[in-house]
Amino acid sequence: MTIVVNVSDAAVSDDVEDVLSTYSLGSCIGVCAYDPAAHVAGMLHFQLPSGAMDPQRAQQNPFMFADTGMERLLRLMAEKGADRRRLRVKLAGGAQMLNDNNLFNIGRRNQTAIRKVLWQYGLLIDREDLGGNSPRTLYMKVADGTVTVKSGARTAVL
Amino acid sequence: MGFRFLIVDDSATTRAIIRRTIRLTGVPADVILEASNGIEALQILTCEKVDLVLADLHMPLMDGVELMKHMQCDAALATIPVVIVSAEPNVSRIEELTKNGVRGHLRKPFTPESLRALIEETLGVAHA
Repeated sequence: MTIVVNVSDAAVSDDVEDVLSTYSLGSCIGVCAYDPAAHVAGMLHFQLPSGAMDPQRAQQNPFMFADTGMERLLRLMAEKGADRRRLRVKLAGGAQMLNDNNLFNIGRRNQTAIRKVLWQYGLLIDREDLGGNSPRTLYMKVADGTVTVKSGARTAVL
Repeated sequence: MGFRFLIVDDSATTRAIIRRTIRLTGVPADVILEASNGIEALQILTCEKVDLVLADLHMPLMDGVELMKHMQCDAALATIPVVIVSAEPNVSRIEELTKNGVRGHLRKPFTPESLRALIEETLGVAHA
């Protein structure tokens, strides 16, 4: 079954038949985390770097932000039996979208934010497809953690 | 059996970051030793077995270049691989060091992933 992760959203699955997917990754970043031993997959689609920017919004929807989103995602994955020390992490997104005149440089700031958050959790990034100017679509198979990124005509396995 | 590392940098913060990154890579690390300059590094190297040295270039008392020269002159130390982790902007200087035995170079500021790749490549360890 395909599980769609919306903007400012996350999903976790341990069903090997599932594929997690998310769309419209522009300046947003999609985080894929996978425990290969427990076959638990988690995907987060966050928009902004830090919940400190808007604590009320962060409380209402933690998945909007890199820090609160990762905290919640890791907790959800642990509840399904994932061990953080085994997690393989892959990232996609963080683009500079040409239609936002890059005033706030959100894509770049999201990249910095997620690197910092992952470091704090002791997680290294296995593969990444970040930056550029184009939106991305992201898929992750729960069966084996395979992550595929599509952007325009380009398709790549991370 | 794990590897034995020596981190040589006058910044305690940088040493801590490198130490933590080594732990996070999953590369088996029996011991991670630290020195704040080349002299301390040589003192450690003369009495401890080390599999990989990660050294800054610009340090007080004895810098990374002098440390390399001393290691190259000692038969017991000359075979220990050294990678430079430095903010040194001069590419030709780094290339010169590579000719003198440096096995790899990482420019500061670095990501932990790039340090992991350099360690794995230098030690010949496959990414887990």
